[in-house]
Amino acid sequence: MTNGGVPPQAPPARFKAELRKARRKNAGGQEVNFLNITAMLDIMTIILVFLLKTLGESSASIPQNKDMTLPKSVIQTQPAQEGVIVTVSKTQILVGDNQMLQLPGRESLAQTGVGARYKRSGPNDLYIVPLGNALQSARKTDKLMREAKGLDASSSEAIIVADQTTPYRLLIEVLFTLGQNEFGKYHLMVVQSKSAN
Amino acid sequence: MAQAPTPLSAAQRAKVRRLSEPQELAPDEEGGELNIVPFLDIIVNILIFMLATIAVTFTATIDTTPPASRSAGVRAKVKSEALNLTVLIVNDGFSIKASGGNVAPGCQGVGAGIAIPKKNGKYDYAALNKCAAKLKGSNPDYADETQVYLSANPGTDYQTIISVIDAVRATPKGTALFDDVNFKVPR
Repeated sequence: MTNGGVPPQAPPARFKAELRKARRKNAGGQEVNFLNITAMLDIMTIILVFLLKTLGESSASIPQNKDMTLPKSVIQTQPAQEGVIVTVSKTQILVGDNQMLQLPGRESLAQTGVGARYKRSGPNDLYIVPLGNALQSARKTDKLMREAKGLDASSSEAIIVADQTTPYRLLIEVLFTLGQNEFGKYHLMVVQSKSAN
Repeated sequence: MAQAPTPLSAAQRAKVRRLSEPQELAPDEEGGELNIVPFLDIIVNILIFMLATIAVTFTATIDTTPPASRSAGVRAKVKSEALNLTVLIVNDGFSIKASGGNVAPGCQGVGAGIAIPKKNGKYDYAALNKCAAKLKGSNPDYADETQVYLSANPGTDYQTIISVIDAVRATPKGTALFDDVNFKVPR
């Protein structure tokens, strides 16, 4: 008996088996179109943000140029982060980012410090009035912050960022003025070096 | 006798081929992946640059207290048998004073003169370090003493002061000497 010219068909079970086999074969040959780097990108971005934040907060952000070059030291301690930053460059004194006064030439600095016009009572006085005024205000703010943090508010701390050619006389004037304004501890900022001399 | 299975017909084979082909993504589905490779390049470059930059700018801080006035000598907390070391940086070298009096040249006993004179026109920090270690080891009572007074000529630069602080802080082997620095007001 014929079926009217229609070719004989395999049973459905065999057809399905053949289809599964063909699908498996094709699936195995597929290529991976792209690499999933999202996780790696996440890690990279986190590291970058962390480094930027660390750099911004640390003293490494202190600019080093002709006017301001930190002295070298063999000390290996971690730099202090707490305290009002007082910068003494070759030409000026700053409290935070605010310029307090312009400095005269080095010869004059070594003899009489910042000069009589910035002192309370003549060139031999050690108190620098414009710096003292700024430190009074900084001390008030720092005192409130220390009280809020539960720290000892009887005195404040200062970070001294001074150029390596700063004469001792000027350094003492700055430290003396800080002491007169209830700053009881100073951190002298230096650059770590294997051999300082 | 077993009968051979019926082979797939042409229509069935064509259908198997069609159904087993991997499905192509629609054009709108293909564009769903953002190309972040250039962004990644920039991030990696910045990261390497920052790592290379921070390696050369390590800073540290030296702790100190307000300078003592001209009249202030020994502080109240210092014991009477303390060494009470004072280093004075002058133009010719380092003048050293201790409770016994002025240290003689060469760091040998008591006597007048510059204890550590300049060597080849430069301050001799190594000799200062040895002298500080020698003075500290000269009496067991000085073992716990860590404070040193430092004064200098008004024109002495800050780098010299820091180098002196380094020299009296510890021996090259790391034994602590005098790491508590107090500045004195120059005359």
